[in-house]
Amino acid sequence: MQVSLTVNGQRRDLLVQPRMHLADALREVLNLTGTHLGCEQGVCGACTVLVDGVPQRSCITYAVDCADAVVTTIEGFDADPTMTALREAFSAHHALQCGFCTPGMLVTARDVVLRLGEVTEARLREELAGNICRCTGYVGIVDAVAAVAKGRQPEARREVRLAEPRQAAPLVEAMPREAPRLARPGGAAMLEERVALTATPDAAWAALADLRRVAECLPGAQLDSVDGEHVTGRVGVALGPIKASFAGAGTVALEAATRSGKLSGRGRDGASSAEGEVGWQVLPGDAGGSVLSVQLSWRLTGPLAQFGRAALVRDLVRRLAQEFAANLDAMVAGQAPPPARQLGLFALLWSVLRAKVLGR
Amino acid sequence: MKAAAFDYRSAESVAQAVALLAEGDTRVLAGGQSLGPSMNLRLARPQRLVDVKRVASLRAVAADDAVCSLGAGWTHAEIEDGVVPDFSCGLMARIAQGIAYRAVRNRGTLGGSLAHADPAADWVNTVVALAGTLVVEGPGGQRRIAAADFVRGAFTTALQGNEMLVAVELPRLGQKSRWGYHKLCRKTGEFAKAIGIAVLDPGRGLARVLAGAVEAAPVPLPLAAKQLWEAGPAAAIAVLDDEVAARLADLAPAERMLRVVAVRRAIEALAEG
Ligand SMILES: Cc1cc2nc3c(=O)[nH]c(=O)nc-3n(C[C@H](O)[C@H](O)[C@H](O)COP(=O)(O)OP(=O)(O)OC[C@H]3O[C@@H](n4cnc5c(N)ncnc54)[C@H](O)[C@@H]3O)c2cc1C
Ligand code: FES
Ligand code: FES
Repeated sequence: MQVSLTVNGQRRDLLVQPRMHLADALREVLNLTGTHLGCEQGVCGACTVLVDGVPQRSCITYAVDCADAVVTTIEGFDADPTMTALREAFSAHHALQCGFCTPGMLVTARDVVLRLGEVTEARLREELAGNICRCTGYVGIVDAVAAVAKGRQPEARREVRLAEPRQAAPLVEAMPREAPRLARPGGAAMLEERVALTATPDAAWAALADLRRVAECLPGAQLDSVDGEHVTGRVGVALGPIKASFAGAGTVALEAATRSGKLSGRGRDGASSAEGEVGWQVLPGDAGGSVLSVQLSWRLTGPLAQFGRAALVRDLVRRLAQEFAANLDAMVAGQAPPPARQLGLFALLWSVLRAKVLGR
Repeated sequence: MKAAAFDYRSAESVAQAVALLAEGDTRVLAGGQSLGPSMNLRLARPQRLVDVKRVASLRAVAADDAVCSLGAGWTHAEIEDGVVPDFSCGLMARIAQGIAYRAVRNRGTLGGSLAHADPAADWVNTVVALAGTLVVEGPGGQRRIAAADFVRGAFTTALQGNEMLVAVELPRLGQKSRWGYHKLCRKTGEFAKAIGIAVLDPGRGLARVLAGAVEAAPVPLPLAAKQLWEAGPAAAIAVLDDEVAARLADLAPAERMLRVVAVRRAIEALAEG
């Protein structure tokens, strides 16, 4: 795609793929290598540049999304008095060592100085929290920015005018309504979800013991081979914007006496992999029905991401176990296979595992 | 760490964006501040993005004396700076300031955060706490969904694949309103480990207390709210342990304690005014 933008005062026409982020366009296409890339997920701040006058992350901004924007990189501040003052202060206060964070740090610092003027050290540290420096320990940086901000007033603010009064919307309720009840009582910290099935324990177990039939209840899952206790297959995942397809292999152990089963497996999707174990057990329930208990454990390592937070699993497992149980119930009752859906229980577990591998 | 290939379209209007969504494997691109990281990590690989940054109607603001409606396209920074008129006695600006970092706030939007529905996201918890209403538009026109029904769970909303969020309606808080917001996180700008919100508007008869960042849909605490309304902050704090224990029974004790502490600090902040 062609995109025109103004970079450091010059109009530039670029031919880029939509997937190219602004930082790569600046570095690779325009040779403006002063903009650095650390994390490429918005966390470290090394890639911070000005877009239309305000600091933004060039690693999570696509170049095509900057049509007609005015971009200023660290190379574009030579004539800027605030930046000149900051550069001198950074030097005087030893606010850089390797310099990797410095371009982003300076762009952020300039914005803080102009937008807020002189502020307390605590506020200054908060404002700089989005720019990570591995060398200096921040003391020099904070001192340098504080020195430049000293005595300055904040900039005037923009405001928008209110639209004409709109037709009155209903008033929000005065008192809170009942909060939704959580699915399960009990104080266990272990990750276990229980769902009631109408099928008898024997019928439910018979269905669960046949892995191919189980797979039918796991939308998004596809069993490629079952060889004794070894299984291979793939699972599709869709969770919000997150989509993945895991090819994996696992080992299944079934124990008829306790009506319980266990699947340990590993999956890969591109560069990421996950490892975990899902256990299930059919217990007698009310009125001749049964209760399906699903337990989950997982092992994960890896770098940071926005998504991997342990307790997320709980909510996801709860919702998916319920969906899985409904499908299983329908299957045991001899009803048509459930309509294909994107999200399956194992798919979901894998997605969480995967998020954890990439995640915190 | 680079996104997979995708096609990019820019929409001029909500109708155009909705029509593109209906064609399949297309996602809305708002600020890209959640989508960008997920795509760079290849957790998300949409075939096509429809950019809604240039849709003017997503930046509408309208208000009467009861409700204020904010377009989905306002950025966190614009709310922080008061570019968007304040109807919340400072609550919205304060919350915006605690989201991520300025460079992220300059691009990330209110609507994008809500549609993304990260349970730890600040707006997700705020709109449920304020009992707001979300305005959603699809091929068949608009529908309005109570915030508590919109957020179905972690990263899951009531939005259909061919619908988009266009606006958020929130109550206008009266001048005597008081509120407290407490976000527990280890590093400034991080997603919350726990969120507590307390809002009291005597003029409007609004009392709300909420425990958030529970890795599921936010959990309103009606008992604490009732106490806050009838007997004041101390009485509300007194019932917190039990109500959080009852409503978040399946959280580990330490996790529950984090929510109790966040909510208690929010109520204390409300009390201090
Ligand atoms: C380093 C970092 C730290 C962060 N910390 C926090 C934090 O502490 N608290 C917090 O709350 N958030 C935090 N965020 C997230 C940030 O607030 C994002 O701006 C927000 O979650 C997404 O908004 P966006 O406009 O960028 O949406 P996008 O990333 O463009 O979209 C997010 C999702 O919503 C969909 N979408 C967007 N707009 C619409 C719409 N109008 N209708 C329907 N679907 C839509 C997209 O298709 C996508 O699936 C952080 C982000 C980063 C990068
Ligand atoms: S590279 Fe953009 S924030 Fe780290
Ligand atoms: S000077 Fe080396 S990272 Fe900051």
